[in-house]
Amino acid sequence: MKMRSLPVLLFGLLSVSNPSLAADSWGIDGEEKARIQVTVVDLLCELTGNCAENCGDGKRQLGLLQEDGTLLLPAKNNDIFAGATADLIPFCGKKIEADGLLIKKDQITMFALQFKRELPDGKWSRANWFTRDWSERNGQDAARWFENDPTIKAELERTGILGLPGVTYVPQ
Amino acid sequence: MKKLTFALCFALSSFTLSSTHAAEGQRVTLTGELIDTWCYTSEIMYALGTAHHKCAVWCAVGGIPVSIRTEDDQVYVILKVEEDDTSVANPRLVEIQTHQVTVNGDLYARDGVNYLIVDQVADDHGIVHINHEDFGIQPF
Repeated sequence: MKMRSLPVLLFGLLSVSNPSLAADSWGIDGEEKARIQVTVVDLLCELTGNCAENCGDGKRQLGLLQEDGTLLLPAKNNDIFAGATADLIPFCGKKIEADGLLIKKDQITMFALQFKRELPDGKWSRANWFTRDWSERNGQDAARWFENDPTIKAELERTGILGLPGVTYVPQ
Repeated sequence: MKKLTFALCFALSSFTLSSTHAAEGQRVTLTGELIDTWCYTSEIMYALGTAHHKCAVWCAVGGIPVSIRTEDDQVYVILKVEEDDTSVANPRLVEIQTHQVTVNGDLYARDGVNYLIVDQVADDHGIVHINHEDFGIQPF
Protein backbone atom coordinates (compact mmCIF):
# COMPACT_ATOMS: atom_id res chain seq x y z
CA MET A 1 0.00 0.00 0.00
CA LYS A 2 1.43 3.36 -1.03
CA MET A 3 0.91 6.85 0.33
CA ARG A 4 2.71 8.87 -2.29
CA SER A 5 -0.40 10.53 -3.69
CA LEU A 6 -1.96 11.81 -0.49
CA PRO A 7 -0.44 15.33 -0.41
CA VAL A 8 -1.33 15.88 -4.06
CA LEU A 9 -4.86 14.60 -3.53
CA LEU A 10 -5.52 16.64 -0.40
CA PHE A 11 -4.22 19.74 -2.13
CA GLY A 12 -6.49 19.04 -5.07
CA LEU A 13 -9.56 18.48 -2.93
CA LEU A 14 -9.02 21.56 -0.81
CA SER A 15 -8.10 23.78 -3.73
CA VAL A 16 -10.73 26.12 -5.14
CA SER A 17 -8.80 27.18 -8.21
CA ASN A 18 -9.46 25.67 -11.58
CA PRO A 19 -10.77 28.30 -13.94
CA SER A 20 -10.58 25.95 -16.92
CA LEU A 21 -13.22 23.58 -15.45
CA ALA A 22 -11.26 20.57 -16.62
CA ALA A 23 -10.09 17.65 -14.56
CA ASP A 24 -6.94 17.89 -12.45
CA SER A 25 -4.61 14.97 -12.02
CA TRP A 26 -4.68 13.53 -8.52
CA GLY A 27 -1.52 11.51 -9.01
CA ILE A 28 -3.23 8.14 -8.72
CA ASP A 29 -1.79 5.12 -10.49
CA GLY A 30 -4.08 4.14 -13.35
CA GLU A 31 -5.86 7.50 -13.60
CA GLU A 32 -6.73 9.05 -16.93
CA LYS A 33 -8.48 12.39 -17.48
CA ALA A 34 -11.86 11.81 -19.10
CA ARG A 35 -14.79 13.92 -20.30
CA ILE A 36 -17.72 11.63 -21.05
CA GLN A 37 -21.37 11.90 -22.02
CA VAL A 38 -23.49 9.58 -19.91
CA THR A 39 -26.92 8.94 -18.46
CA VAL A 40 -27.21 8.99 -14.67
CA VAL A 41 -28.77 5.72 -13.46
CA ASP A 42 -29.66 3.97 -10.21
CA LEU A 43 -27.09 1.14 -10.00
CA LEU A 44 -29.35 -1.27 -8.13
CA CYS A 45 -32.08 -0.70 -10.73
CA GLU A 46 -29.70 -1.00 -13.67
CA LEU A 47 -28.19 -4.26 -12.43
CA THR A 48 -31.09 -6.05 -10.78
CA GLY A 49 -34.33 -4.37 -11.83
CA ASN A 50 -34.97 -3.22 -8.23
CA CYS A 51 -35.83 0.39 -9.02
CA ALA A 52 -36.79 3.32 -6.83
CA GLU A 53 -38.41 6.64 -7.60
CA ASN A 54 -35.89 9.36 -8.48
CA CYS A 55 -33.00 6.85 -8.30
CA GLY A 56 -33.53 6.51 -4.53
CA ASP A 57 -33.46 10.24 -3.73
CA GLY A 58 -29.73 10.25 -2.98
CA LYS A 59 -29.71 7.17 -0.76
CA ARG A 60 -28.57 4.75 -3.46
CA GLN A 61 -25.25 4.62 -5.29
CA LEU A 62 -25.59 5.97 -8.81
CA GLY A 63 -23.97 4.88 -12.07
CA LEU A 64 -22.84 6.59 -15.26
CA LEU A 65 -24.16 4.72 -18.29
CA GLN A 66 -22.39 5.38 -21.57
CA GLU A 67 -24.05 5.11 -25.01
CA ASP A 68 -22.26 1.82 -25.71
CA GLY A 69 -23.68 0.27 -22.53
CA THR A 70 -20.55 0.65 -20.42
CA LEU A 71 -21.49 1.29 -16.80
CA LEU A 72 -19.13 3.35 -14.64
CA LEU A 73 -19.02 3.68 -10.86
CA PRO A 74 -18.64 7.33 -9.76
CA ALA A 75 -16.95 6.60 -6.44
CA LYS A 76 -15.73 10.09 -5.55
CA ASN A 77 -16.51 13.76 -6.02
CA ASN A 78 -14.36 16.85 -5.51
CA ASP A 79 -15.10 17.21 -1.77
CA ILE A 80 -12.81 15.70 0.78
CA PHE A 81 -14.01 12.27 2.06
CA ALA A 82 -17.23 12.38 0.00
CA GLY A 83 -18.91 10.48 -2.82
CA ALA A 84 -20.64 11.78 -5.92
CA THR A 85 -24.31 11.07 -5.21
CA ALA A 86 -25.21 14.64 -4.16
CA ASP A 87 -23.75 15.94 -7.43
CA LEU A 88 -25.57 13.41 -9.58
CA ILE A 89 -29.00 12.90 -8.03
CA PRO A 90 -30.49 16.05 -9.63
CA PHE A 91 -29.76 14.40 -12.97
CA CYS A 92 -31.38 10.99 -12.34
CA GLY A 93 -32.32 9.56 -15.74
CA LYS A 94 -30.84 12.54 -17.57
CA LYS A 95 -27.87 12.88 -19.88
CA ILE A 96 -24.93 14.79 -18.52
CA GLU A 97 -21.34 15.50 -19.39
CA ALA A 98 -19.00 14.35 -16.64
CA ASP A 99 -15.44 15.52 -16.34
CA GLY A 100 -12.98 13.79 -14.06
CA LEU A 101 -10.63 10.87 -13.74
CA LEU A 102 -11.25 7.37 -15.00
CA ILE A 103 -9.23 5.12 -12.73
CA LYS A 104 -8.47 1.54 -13.67
CA LYS A 105 -7.01 -0.68 -10.96
CA ASP A 106 -6.67 -4.44 -10.71
CA GLN A 107 -9.63 -4.67 -8.33
CA ILE A 108 -11.95 -2.02 -9.76
CA THR A 109 -12.64 0.59 -12.42
CA MET A 110 -14.07 3.83 -11.04
CA PHE A 111 -14.70 7.47 -11.92
CA ALA A 112 -13.72 10.48 -9.80
CA LEU A 113 -16.18 13.25 -10.70
CA GLN A 114 -14.71 16.76 -10.70
CA PHE A 115 -17.18 18.75 -12.86
CA LYS A 116 -20.55 18.07 -14.42
CA ARG A 117 -23.23 19.71 -16.56
CA GLU A 118 -26.59 18.65 -17.95
CA LEU A 119 -26.72 18.09 -21.69
CA PRO A 120 -27.22 19.60 -24.12
CA ASP A 121 -26.43 23.08 -22.82
CA GLY A 122 -26.28 23.14 -19.00
CA LYS A 123 -23.64 25.16 -17.19
CA TRP A 124 -20.58 23.44 -15.81
CA SER A 125 -20.40 23.21 -12.04
CA ARG A 126 -17.78 21.83 -9.69
CA ALA A 127 -18.62 18.46 -8.17
CA ASN A 128 -18.77 19.74 -4.60
CA TRP A 129 -22.45 19.56 -3.81
CA PHE A 130 -21.94 17.17 -0.90
CA THR A 131 -20.40 19.96 1.20
CA ARG A 132 -22.86 22.52 -0.18
CA ASP A 133 -25.76 20.34 0.99
CA TRP A 134 -24.04 19.44 4.27
CA SER A 135 -23.53 23.12 5.06
CA GLU A 136 -27.20 23.86 4.38
CA ARG A 137 -28.34 20.93 6.55
CA ASN A 138 -26.03 21.70 9.45
CA GLY A 139 -25.87 25.48 9.34
CA GLN A 140 -22.09 25.67 9.43
CA ASP A 141 -19.06 25.82 7.22
CA ALA A 142 -18.30 22.43 5.65
CA ALA A 143 -14.56 22.77 5.10
CA ARG A 144 -13.93 20.14 7.80
CA TRP A 145 -17.39 18.61 7.72
CA PHE A 146 -16.08 15.18 8.72
CA GLU A 147 -15.00 16.48 12.13
CA ASN A 148 -18.34 18.14 12.84
CA ASP A 149 -20.88 15.75 11.36
CA PRO A 150 -23.34 14.57 14.04
CA THR A 151 -23.61 11.02 12.67
CA ILE A 152 -19.83 10.61 12.62
CA LYS A 153 -19.45 12.11 16.08
CA ALA A 154 -22.03 9.69 17.49
CA GLU A 155 -20.44 6.66 15.80
CA LEU A 156 -16.90 7.49 16.88
CA GLU A 157 -18.09 8.22 20.42
CA ARG A 158 -19.63 4.73 20.42
CA THR A 159 -16.62 2.85 19.06
CA GLY A 160 -13.64 5.15 19.50
CA ILE A 161 -11.45 6.14 16.56
CA LEU A 162 -9.99 2.63 16.39
CA GLY A 163 -13.41 1.02 16.14
CA LEU A 164 -12.71 -0.86 19.36
CA PRO A 165 -15.11 0.27 22.12
CA GLY A 166 -13.23 1.04 25.31
CA VAL A 167 -9.78 1.11 23.65
CA THR A 168 -8.13 4.52 23.56
CA TYR A 169 -5.55 5.42 20.96
CA VAL A 170 -2.21 6.44 22.41
CA PRO A 171 0.13 7.88 19.77
CA GLN A 172 3.54 6.16 19.71
CA MET B 1 -51.17 -12.50 -40.62
CA LYS B 2 -48.24 -14.71 -39.54
CA LYS B 3 -45.85 -11.94 -40.53
CA LEU B 4 -47.80 -9.43 -38.48
CA THR B 5 -47.83 -11.72 -35.44
CA PHE B 6 -44.08 -12.30 -35.76
CA ALA B 7 -43.43 -8.58 -36.11
CA LEU B 8 -45.53 -7.82 -33.02
CA CYS B 9 -43.76 -10.52 -30.98
CA PHE B 10 -40.37 -9.21 -32.10
CA ALA B 11 -41.31 -5.64 -31.27
CA LEU B 12 -42.61 -6.59 -27.83
CA SER B 13 -39.55 -8.70 -26.99
CA SER B 14 -37.26 -5.89 -28.11
CA PHE B 15 -39.12 -3.45 -25.87
CA THR B 16 -38.78 -5.80 -22.91
CA LEU B 17 -35.06 -6.20 -23.44
CA SER B 18 -34.43 -2.50 -23.86
CA SER B 19 -36.56 -1.44 -20.89
CA THR B 20 -34.38 -3.28 -18.38
CA HIS B 21 -30.78 -4.37 -18.31
CA ALA B 22 -31.31 -6.49 -15.23
CA ALA B 23 -29.54 -9.84 -15.18
CA GLU B 24 -29.32 -12.76 -12.82
CA GLY B 25 -26.69 -12.47 -10.12
CA GLN B 26 -24.31 -15.21 -9.10
CA ARG B 27 -24.91 -16.59 -5.61
CA VAL B 28 -21.83 -16.11 -3.43
CA THR B 29 -20.67 -16.37 0.15
CA LEU B 30 -17.79 -14.04 0.87
CA THR B 31 -15.63 -13.33 3.90
CA GLY B 32 -13.64 -10.14 4.13
CA GLU B 33 -13.14 -6.72 5.67
CA LEU B 34 -15.51 -3.84 5.06
CA ILE B 35 -13.47 -1.03 3.53
CA ASP B 36 -13.76 2.44 2.14
CA THR B 37 -13.61 1.69 -1.58
CA TRP B 38 -11.88 4.92 -2.55
CA CYS B 39 -9.07 5.03 -0.01
CA TYR B 40 -8.25 1.37 -0.43
CA THR B 41 -8.30 1.01 -4.20
CA SER B 42 -6.78 4.41 -5.03
CA GLU B 43 -3.88 3.57 -2.68
CA ILE B 44 -3.68 7.16 -1.47
CA MET B 45 -3.09 5.91 2.07
CA TYR B 46 -2.96 2.74 4.13
CA ALA B 47 -6.64 1.84 4.33
CA LEU B 48 -7.26 -1.27 6.41
CA GLY B 49 -7.99 -2.09 10.04
CA THR B 50 -7.89 0.06 13.15
CA ALA B 51 -5.37 2.44 11.56
CA HIS B 52 -7.95 3.56 9.03
CA HIS B 53 -11.23 3.02 10.88
CA LYS B 54 -11.94 6.69 11.60
CA CYS B 55 -11.40 7.67 7.97
CA ALA B 56 -13.47 4.71 6.80
CA VAL B 57 -16.38 6.01 8.89
CA TRP B 58 -15.89 9.53 7.50
CA CYS B 59 -16.02 8.20 3.95
CA ALA B 60 -19.00 5.89 4.53
CA VAL B 61 -21.02 8.78 5.98
CA GLY B 62 -19.76 10.93 3.10
CA GLY B 63 -21.40 8.52 0.68
CA ILE B 64 -18.36 6.84 -0.83
CA PRO B 65 -19.25 3.22 -1.65
CA VAL B 66 -18.44 0.65 1.03
CA SER B 67 -16.97 -2.63 -0.20
CA ILE B 68 -15.89 -6.00 1.08
CA ARG B 69 -12.23 -6.76 0.49
CA THR B 70 -11.51 -10.49 0.53
CA GLU B 71 -8.22 -12.19 1.39
CA ASP B 72 -7.41 -12.65 -2.32
CA ASP B 73 -7.56 -8.83 -2.65
CA GLN B 74 -10.81 -8.72 -4.60
CA VAL B 75 -13.18 -5.83 -3.91
CA TYR B 76 -16.99 -6.10 -3.91
CA VAL B 77 -19.04 -2.88 -3.88
CA ILE B 78 -22.14 -3.22 -1.68
CA LEU B 79 -25.40 -1.90 -3.16
CA LYS B 80 -27.88 -3.40 -0.69
CA VAL B 81 -27.73 -4.80 2.83
CA GLU B 82 -30.38 -7.26 3.94
CA GLU B 83 -33.79 -5.53 3.73
CA ASP B 84 -32.32 -2.06 3.24
CA ASP B 85 -32.11 -0.89 -0.38
CA THR B 86 -29.95 2.13 0.46
CA SER B 87 -26.19 2.22 0.00
CA VAL B 88 -25.26 5.87 0.59
CA ALA B 89 -24.34 6.52 4.23
CA ASN B 90 -26.20 3.32 5.12
CA PRO B 91 -26.42 3.19 8.96
CA ARG B 92 -25.84 -0.59 9.07
CA LEU B 93 -22.67 -0.30 6.98
CA VAL B 94 -21.40 2.61 9.11
CA GLU B 95 -22.01 0.51 12.22
CA ILE B 96 -19.99 -2.48 10.95
CA GLN B 97 -17.38 -0.53 8.97
CA THR B 98 -13.90 -2.18 9.12
CA HIS B 99 -15.35 -5.39 10.59
CA GLN B 100 -14.52 -8.75 9.09
CA VAL B 101 -17.81 -10.26 8.00
CA THR B 102 -19.17 -13.23 6.16
CA VAL B 103 -22.04 -12.40 3.85
CA ASN B 104 -24.39 -14.22 1.53
CA GLY B 105 -25.59 -12.47 -1.57
CA ASP B 106 -25.71 -12.02 -5.31
CA LEU B 107 -22.71 -10.88 -7.36
CA TYR B 108 -23.04 -8.79 -10.52
CA ALA B 109 -19.74 -8.26 -12.33
CA ARG B 110 -19.87 -5.48 -14.92
CA ASP B 111 -17.31 -3.28 -16.65
CA GLY B 112 -14.54 -3.77 -14.11
CA VAL B 113 -16.64 -3.63 -10.95
CA ASN B 114 -17.91 -6.41 -8.70
CA TYR B 115 -21.28 -5.28 -7.33
CA LEU B 116 -22.73 -7.16 -4.38
CA ILE B 117 -26.31 -7.44 -3.16
CA VAL B 118 -26.01 -8.65 0.42
CA ASP B 119 -29.08 -10.49 1.62
CA GLN B 120 -27.55 -11.72 4.87
CA VAL B 121 -24.65 -10.74 7.09
CA ALA B 122 -24.12 -14.29 8.32
CA ASP B 123 -21.21 -13.58 10.67
CA ASP B 124 -19.55 -10.53 12.14
CA HIS B 125 -16.08 -11.03 13.61
CA GLY B 126 -15.58 -7.36 14.50
CA ILE B 127 -12.34 -5.63 13.59
CA VAL B 128 -9.56 -8.16 13.13
CA HIS B 129 -6.79 -5.98 11.68
CA ILE B 130 -5.31 -4.36 14.77
CA ASN B 131 -2.64 -2.33 13.05
CA HIS B 132 -2.67 1.24 14.42
CA GLU B 133 0.61 0.68 16.25
CA ASP B 134 2.27 -0.08 12.93
CA PHE B 135 0.60 2.57 10.77
CA GLY B 136 -0.67 5.23 13.18
CA ILE B 137 -4.00 6.88 12.36
CA GLN B 138 -4.55 7.29 8.62
CA PRO B 139 -4.58 9.88 7.17
CA PHE B 140 -4.50 12.07 10.30
